[in-house]
Amino acid sequence: MKNKLFRLLALLALASMILAACGGGATVTEEAPSGEAPAPASEAPAAGEKAKVVIFVGFGTGTDPDQVAAQEALAKKFNDSHDNIEMEFLIVPNEEARERFLAMVAGDNAPQLVGPHGISTIANFLDQWEDITPYIEKENYDMSDFYGPATTLNKYPDLNAGLPLGLYPSFIFYNKDAFDAAGLDYPTHDYADTSWNLDALREMAMQLTLDADDLTPNDEGFNPATIKQWGYADTWTDARGQLTMFGAPTKGRPTTDDYKTATFNSPEWVFGAQWLHDGIFKDYFIPDAAGQSAIDADTGDPFGGGHVAIWYSHTWYMSEGLNELPFKYDIAPLFFNQDGERISRIHADLFTMPKTAKNKDAAWEVMKWLVAPEQIVDVCKVYGCLPARESSQEAYLNYMKERYPGIDYDVIFTAIDYLDDPNHESWVPEWGKVNDTLNNAQTTIYTEPELDVTNLMNITNEDMQKILDEYWAKQ
Amino acid sequence: MTLFKPHKMSLARREALAGYAFIIPWIIGFLIFTIGPMLASLYFSFTDYNIIDPPRWIGLQNYARVFSGIPEYFKTGDPRQLGDPLFWKSLQVTLYFASLALPLNLILSFFLAILLNQKVPGVNVWRTIFFLPSIIAGVAVTLLWIRILNPRMGILNPFLQNVLGIQNPPGWLQDPNWSVPALVLMSLWGVGGSMIIYLAGLQGIPTDLYDAAKVDGANAWQRFWNVTFPMMTPVLFYNLVLGMIGTFQYFTEVYVATSGTGGPQRSTLFYNLYLYQNAFRYFDMGYASTMAWILFVIVLLLTALIFRSSDAWVYYEGQLRGRG
Repeated sequence: MKNKLFRLLALLALASMILAACGGGATVTEEAPSGEAPAPASEAPAAGEKAKVVIFVGFGTGTDPDQVAAQEALAKKFNDSHDNIEMEFLIVPNEEARERFLAMVAGDNAPQLVGPHGISTIANFLDQWEDITPYIEKENYDMSDFYGPATTLNKYPDLNAGLPLGLYPSFIFYNKDAFDAAGLDYPTHDYADTSWNLDALREMAMQLTLDADDLTPNDEGFNPATIKQWGYADTWTDARGQLTMFGAPTKGRPTTDDYKTATFNSPEWVFGAQWLHDGIFKDYFIPDAAGQSAIDADTGDPFGGGHVAIWYSHTWYMSEGLNELPFKYDIAPLFFNQDGERISRIHADLFTMPKTAKNKDAAWEVMKWLVAPEQIVDVCKVYGCLPARESSQEAYLNYMKERYPGIDYDVIFTAIDYLDDPNHESWVPEWGKVNDTLNNAQTTIYTEPELDVTNLMNITNEDMQKILDEYWAKQ
Repeated sequence: MTLFKPHKMSLARREALAGYAFIIPWIIGFLIFTIGPMLASLYFSFTDYNIIDPPRWIGLQNYARVFSGIPEYFKTGDPRQLGDPLFWKSLQVTLYFASLALPLNLILSFFLAILLNQKVPGVNVWRTIFFLPSIIAGVAVTLLWIRILNPRMGILNPFLQNVLGIQNPPGWLQDPNWSVPALVLMSLWGVGGSMIIYLAGLQGIPTDLYDAAKVDGANAWQRFWNVTFPMMTPVLFYNLVLGMIGTFQYFTEVYVATSGTGGPQRSTLFYNLYLYQNAFRYFDMGYASTMAWILFVIVLLLTALIFRSSDAWVYYEGQLRGRG
């Protein structure tokens, strides 16, 4: 009896080993965070049956309760008007999105569309997206209405990741009350005014920085440990995002054009890193790591919480409660850099189709519907983006003027002309590893008062070069 | 008329059969959900596997990446000569944390257990108070501690400044030199769990041993050192083994506290965090599996070492020293 049982157990063990060894995907799915998986939409629909298109939402915006409700309304609108396709939004919390998406793809249950998401997610999973060029060419789909940049930001030599949905230009938000209290003129709204540069910003920001006794860094007795209002911050972005404005030859991408040589220590970015470090620990108008953590612990919103007087961010920041601020504000162009150039970084959202998704034709139909002139404004209202179609500008502008009155909207639309291309979120080999390496340098800049910035940039560049070399050696 | 004659089994055989019947569901689950994935990960550790595409066999390359460059490192002292400097950095961070957190947790929980084993009024209330925090663990506690430790907004630094007179208190999680001690401090929140086990152990010590010691004229310290401590060594041993394994599995708290970055300046890049980054951020499941198996071997060796040393310091009642 014992022998039989042991044989049975041995057989079970063997079977489990074989299953586990062969079924890598299944293993990963088991280990992925639990949650309700969508109904598989993989098989081609039978005659008379609707093709299901699951839209995976979670890498970017779209998970707030009001957005979930708005997306359900969009799905209803689509489903009511289509007999052959059923659209369904799968909402995944941002912190779970990566694992859930990987588990679904590995389990041969890829969603039909993913989005809205930006350049970084597309770069991070670059090999996973279907090139939509054949769909565009097959139908001779008209791309002329899209803003030029919107069609190029997510386009690579062998990949056009999706139809443009929205843009998020960047500019500065400024607290008018803080400027009034300091007796300062507001920043210019004139894009041609070259006096609005790094030096002007620094001077202005130092006068706007206040400690607990309302002293500025220019005053004797100023105590940086008690700063209650910083002059300037651009802290909701990563290393590449912060350094892009300083104008390296490859803009937001720290490699040469062949992606083989790291250029993180370009003279422009070294200058930028030093400028940031001085602003944090010498002139005190930029919050250091401890200051940022204090802001996080307080309201979590540097500008809206009144912690920062000049805040550099994108249009997506406007949905962070900008219409409920207890002070007057406006927006202005980003300043010129040390070389007299303005590089105003941009984000761009779209929906993408995973390569392994089924029902791709139906997915293409849904993708087109979401960015069609009839829908794009409504879809962008849900996600807070500027519609990527020029023809939709007026309708969206009217909506924005109603929602955020008193803002100079020319600033937003003109900012598109100064975008960063190559973009600060664009693909580089080993995207995650490279960005983590660069972001480690960024945290060093924000935490180390005594720092040889040039040395840090050189060492980081060597680390990045090692990652690139390892990547190319494997190709 | 009886068509089938019932087969009579002995009692022992029936009991054995019942025993197997009871454990077989667990064994099946163990084989499929534990042993199976373990063996799968062993296989993956010899592959280049990005989760989505099928794994590609690369032999020992992942292991070579971990261990290459060690001679060059010893020659030059430059950690960047190592095949994967971050692997060693993460191991160093984990060992540093373990070297602080493990002894502190063992000592503090033992000390609390002794205090709460005294006959004082309301002792059950005190026991509950000290045990309660260990029930609330993970993300919620980490978020609470992030606020407590915040150098500008937290309540700890004002206490250090105003009550203890420390003029420049640490930046805690924002300071690379203090981030690990901050996590150690955070880990003390959960000492209640070990404390309860110690308390149960203390209450299991026969009182006649103390009576005999008293008759022999032993003072309080002598009674602790010669009676309490030896009798508690099995419990200490148990907590040491579990605590050691726990420190090597440290992940949730540091993931939440640093948003998964291991910052500032990689000062909190724990082994498991780096493993996670490789698996789910860099999509290098093959290398992550290699790291998992190396961790398994490290923990196995340390556990074996502790077991081996137990002959010398763990006392089991009725056992002769050195006779396993």
